[in-house]
This record gives sequence, structure tokens and C-alpha cells, in this order.
Amino acid sequence: MGRVLAVFPLVCTALLPLPAIAADNAEITVLREELDLLRTDYERRISDLERRLAEAELAQGQPAVTTLPAQAQSERQGIAASRPVMGRVSSGNAFNPQTSVILNGNYYYDDVDGTGAELLSGALQPSQAGHAHAHEGHAHDGAENGFNFSEAELAFSASVDPYFDAATYLAIDSDGEVDLEEAWFSTRRLPWGLQFKGGKFYSDFGYINNQHPHQWDFSNQNLAYLNLLGDHGLQDTGLQLTWLPDWPLYTLLGTELLQGEQERFGALIDDGDEREALDLDDADDGPRLWTAYLKVSPDLGFDHALQLGASFAHSRQHQEIHGADHDHTAGAEQGLEGDADLWGLDLVYKYDNQAPYGHRDFKLQTEYLRSIKDLDISGGSEAGIGSRRELTTDGLYVQGLYGVAPRWQVALRYDTLGPTNQVRGGERSDFDSSQRWTAALAWLPTEFSLLRLQYEYSDIQLQTGGSEHFNALWLQFIMSMGTHGAHAF
Amino acid sequence: MLLARTVWLLVLLLPLAAWGELKVVSSSSSTAMLVREIAGAHVGLTVLAPPDRDLHLLQVRPSMMRALRGADLVTALGADLEQGWLPLAIQQAANPRILPGRPGYFEAAAQVDLLQVGGRADRSLGDVHPVGNPHINMDPLRMAQVGLALAQRLAELDPQHADDYHARAGAFGDRVAGRLATWQKELASAPGVVSYHLDVLYLLQRFKVPLLGVLEPVPGVPPTASHLKGLTASLTGRQGVILYTTYQSESAPKSLGRLLGWRIERLQLEPPLHADGGVYLEHIERWVRALAGDGR
Repeated sequence: MGRVLAVFPLVCTALLPLPAIAADNAEITVLREELDLLRTDYERRISDLERRLAEAELAQGQPAVTTLPAQAQSERQGIAASRPVMGRVSSGNAFNPQTSVILNGNYYYDDVDGTGAELLSGALQPSQAGHAHAHEGHAHDGAENGFNFSEAELAFSASVDPYFDAATYLAIDSDGEVDLEEAWFSTRRLPWGLQFKGGKFYSDFGYINNQHPHQWDFSNQNLAYLNLLGDHGLQDTGLQLTWLPDWPLYTLLGTELLQGEQERFGALIDDGDEREALDLDDADDGPRLWTAYLKVSPDLGFDHALQLGASFAHSRQHQEIHGADHDHTAGAEQGLEGDADLWGLDLVYKYDNQAPYGHRDFKLQTEYLRSIKDLDISGGSEAGIGSRRELTTDGLYVQGLYGVAPRWQVALRYDTLGPTNQVRGGERSDFDSSQRWTAALAWLPTEFSLLRLQYEYSDIQLQTGGSEHFNALWLQFIMSMGTHGAHAF
Repeated sequence: MLLARTVWLLVLLLPLAAWGELKVVSSSSSTAMLVREIAGAHVGLTVLAPPDRDLHLLQVRPSMMRALRGADLVTALGADLEQGWLPLAIQQAANPRILPGRPGYFEAAAQVDLLQVGGRADRSLGDVHPVGNPHINMDPLRMAQVGLALAQRLAELDPQHADDYHARAGAFGDRVAGRLATWQKELASAPGVVSYHLDVLYLLQRFKVPLLGVLEPVPGVPPTASHLKGLTASLTGRQGVILYTTYQSESAPKSLGRLLGWRIERLQLEPPLHADGGVYLEHIERWVRALAGDGR
């Protein structure tokens, strides 16, 4: 009881500002009258200021001759608004969505007859998911020796109404095939730091996952994302809920519920006959995949920024076929089915130097991914049906970017797939890891254009055994037309 | 039981205690100066960008969202100047009170008339701003007008201190008006200016100081040798001052200064981080002194 009494004055203090909220109609009328008075007063002050300025100009004698550009002289002599303007002055396009078109193309050469991209995305791992699809669809990194046009990205975004924003991103490849990369809406006015997003979008799992290829610091994706999540990363249809609590430390919590249309993580065998032959289940009803992530960022002042993140994704259905050769001849094939987990840790540090145009700015970015697929052999070749297979592969990349001169950036990257690369369960095997070193030099004449020279040396373990060492060279351009796209941290 | 309930009540009421103070976030020290001058101790103030950076090229940091998350009011210079980071930071801050168009969003450029409005929206002409030149913080009179509008907004959000806000904004206006005549006299015979970027336009226009040239061939593109040659050819024999700011490269101003024999002045575009009205007027005074004189 004594403690309760001690707390009581505190409660009273906390209550003190509350009475101001109560106001009856009479008070409102008085307030309104006062406001009108203030408004008149405000107008009077403005005209007073203008009068005094005019006097000052008169006192100065004849006006000085100026050679200001004609545009500058056409200053409109308006009367100051009687009420502060609520909105903003912006070149944002009235009712049309903000539009941008980003072109991304390259000259590419590798010393393995242009098969480098294929080797990179098929680096050895025990999981075989996605290999059946390797030659289908639009691939961001697909590059042949010679000239390549990767994609033209069309981006549209706008506020739908006071309650929703929406955006659409289309990628058109050199054959004119259109791929819907993202199309989503998000809420604007939810309370308590909550935001909802729905539609098709790049997941906010990890750090680089939600970036479009033109935002990457290199011409191609790192080995970890490329092999564990595929060309498009974790891109799916569903819902996202984020919570940014009003805490002294920047903390963002998010969770997503996704359909699970994936090529590598939570992949399913599309072909019904094949599924039946291998005793694999039909696709479960969606959503089959969920993610959760946390980002934390201490305030390090104006020059430094650091963000730490941890992410998790779970797919409750995952299927793959082992022992298939390229002709899909039956007999040796086995179907595996189960669920899949993916862990991610990320760290991003940015240093912003006072020097102009990115000179002496620095960025360090690193992520670790670990994929664990817990599967059972469902059917196919007789041996081992019902036996468990746990396929674990991890991957890591570390990259740094430094502004060596105004508008010039040098970037270095080390990435690896499979420091842990193993099968456990009914069978125990371990595989070697693949790695690559990459160096890039980029010139950004303005914030709308970029030219990049990239060299990479890769040491890739092959699915067929052995390894391939090769060199690759990129000369890439990225051109942005349209509105200034702000890039997230 | 009673103890538990009291503790809960206390937890629920704690945020209310902080209601007394309006939380304001300013994009840069220019509008922060006005907030400090007009609202003084009534508000808690956070500034997002340091005064030595180019506001046009800044990138978003998570700490910006952190500050904006609980803000009652955000003040920006506007007219697309902070476009590369502020709209995104506001959108990601999950705070509906400060969205553009709502009382919690205050844009200085929307309160006054802008120079260089219109013009072709063609990026081959550089990083152009068809909505107008956003650097209004260089015009003390426009800033005084913005101050009056800001007082109005603050009064709406915090009616308790309305009188104080209006009185202080008015007083700041008076102080500015009081200095204008002196500055106008000092700059009556100013020789004219070559500026790195058109960020001093409002100051020059206010005091009718001739603009003799711009070092950037088009906005956002660094000075080229041929452009410098052209400037030198047209300005040889004249008097003038070369102006550039802290985040602009010094090589072009220095070589043009050598070629023409003009004085070079390097000044910060934004007032100091903790500036109030008085410090801002000193800041403008420094610019006025740099513009004045015969250019030697």
C-alpha cells in the first residue's frame, strides 16, 4: 500500500496535461475568433514587411543594373498566402504516377565460352531445386559473350488515395518478354507505426533481397542469393506487416505471409505426371511460405550509419528430384519432399563524407545465408524410400564500396557458396565450396547514369564433379530516365 | 492487485507526460533555425542533415526514420531539394501525421514565391528543377515570411503557445526588416558574382547584386575547362567575386580566381547546426560581406 501511495503523485503529474483536451462549444467559438484575429494580424505583418522593404529599396536610390538570367527576373509578385500552405512544391506528376525507365545492358566476356552465368547459378550444392528451370524465363544475370541487354525496368508509383500507396515494376528483356517484378499497395495511415503491404513484391528478408539489379554495386548477384534463392531472390505474392515502434533505438520488425511460388527455396515440381511417378504430393494450398525479420540501427550521428539485421524464412512444402539426368529418363530418379528453413544475418555500414559526389564515401555490406531443407524420399528409384535427407548449404558475401574521386567508385567483393555444404540423415556426404573475387570500377557522371567495368575470378564446384576456374569481364551501363528514384538505406 | 493496476496505469500514462512538448524534426539547419527562433523551449527539435552537406545528394539513414517516427511536425526547405531522401524517410517512418498535405508537414518553399519557376524539364540541361529554385534559405526576407507561416502552423498544432509563436515570428520579421536597409546600402555598389551553382540566387536577387556567371555549365555538372575559358574570356577586365560553398570542389573557383585576379569566398550555404535567428542573421551578414567590396 505504501508503494501505491508513493506512485500516486506520479500518476497525478502524468495526468496534468489532460484537462487541456476538454473544450466545450463556447470555448471553440472563442478560439475560432482568436484564430481569425491572428490571421488578420499575420496578413498585416506580411504587408508591413513588404512596405518596409519597398521603403528600403527607395532609400537606396536607383535600382542596380543586374544581369540575372531572364528566368530569375520573372519573379512572380504574389501576395503571401493568408494560411500556411499544407502541401509541398514538387515536380511529382499531378495525377499521373511517377514514372521511371531504367536501362541496363552490358558487354560481357568470359573464358569459358560464355557459360559463366550458368556455372555461377549452378554451383554445387546437394539441393537440386530449380535446376530444371535453369534455362527458362528471364534471368537477371544471363549474359552471353558479347553484347547483352539485360532489361529495361519500368517503374510506376503513386498515392492511390489518402489511405494507400501503390507501385508497379516491370522488367522487359531483350526479346521483349515482360516480367512483373513487383506490383503492390501499401497503407499510409495505420497508427502505432504499423504498415501493411500486399501484392507481389521482393521480400524484405535480408538486405540485398529487395534491391532491383540496377541498385546492386556489381553487375551480377552474389553466389549466396543466386544459388539459395535464385535469379529473382525471394520474390513472391502475399502480405507484409511491419512495425516501427517509437523507441529510442531504431527497430523495425516485419513478417510476411507468401504464396510460395519459388524456384529454389520452397520449390515445387510443376509437372503432374512427374509428381505422380515420384509419389510427390500435389501443391498444398497457399500461403506456403512465411518470413520474419528484425532490423536494428543505432544513431551514430550525421556521418555514420550502421544497420544490423536478422531474418528467417520457412517454407512448409518443398519438393525436388534427385538423380535426374538431362533427358529425364526414369529409373534413377528420386522424389524428395519436406519443408525448408532459411536463416539470414546482415550488416551494412555507411560512411558519408562531406566531400561532394560520393568522394570518400564508404560502404561495407555483408550477409550470411543458411538454407536447411528437411526432406524425405517419397518415391522413384526403390532404394531408400522413406529415408530422411537434411540438405544444408550456406553462403556468404562481403563487399565494400569506396568513392576514390568525385563520381568514381571502386568496389570489391568476396562471395562463397557452401562453406557448409552437406547431406545428413540416411546418407552423409560433404561437398566443397565455390568462391569468387570481384573488383569493379564505376563512373557516375550524374545520379542518373552509371558506367561500370567489372572483373571477376571464379572457382566454382560443378554438379558433375570437379571445379572450373574462370575469368569474366563486364562493361555495363545503367541509365535512368524520369523521376529521381530515392534509394532506401 | 491494486499495485499491478497502478503500475499499468502509470505505463499507459507515461507517453502523455511527453505530450506537453511538440516534437519537431527539421530537414536542415535552415528551417531548424526558424523553429528554434519561433518555438524556442516549447518544442523538442531534431535536425536530419548537417549544414556542411549538399541536401540534394544526401542519402537516407535509419536514424532519420527513428526521428520522424514520433514527430508532430517536420519542416523542410522543399521544392524537391531534399527529394533524394526526405520523402522516402517520411514514407518509411510509419507516421501518418507528417505526410505531405497534413498539418504535420511544413514546406518552406510552399509558403513563398520561388525564382526560376517553369523552364524545360529536360535533364540534358542538367539537374533542373522546373518547380523553382529551392535555395530560399539565402533570402532573409523570404525566411521571415516562412517564419510567419511556421508560427501559424505551430499555433494550430499547439494552441496553448499560439500567442508566443506569433509574437516571436513577428519579432524575427522585424529584425530581418531592420537589417535589410543596412545590407542594401552595403551592397549598392557590389561588383557582381560568379557562383559555383545557382544556390545564391535569392540573396543576389534580393539585393540586386549582378550575377556574372555560373561555374557549372548546367546544374549538377562539374565545371569544364572550356566553360572556364568562356567565362574568363567574357569577364576579363571586370571586377567581381567568386563564390562557392563548403561541399563544392575548390579547383574550378581557384583557377578562375587566378585567371581573373578576383577574390574567392568559400562559405557554408546552411547556417550553423545550432543556429537561431540571431546566428542566421550573422550567417547572412558573412555572405553580405563576401559580396561587398570592390572584388580585390
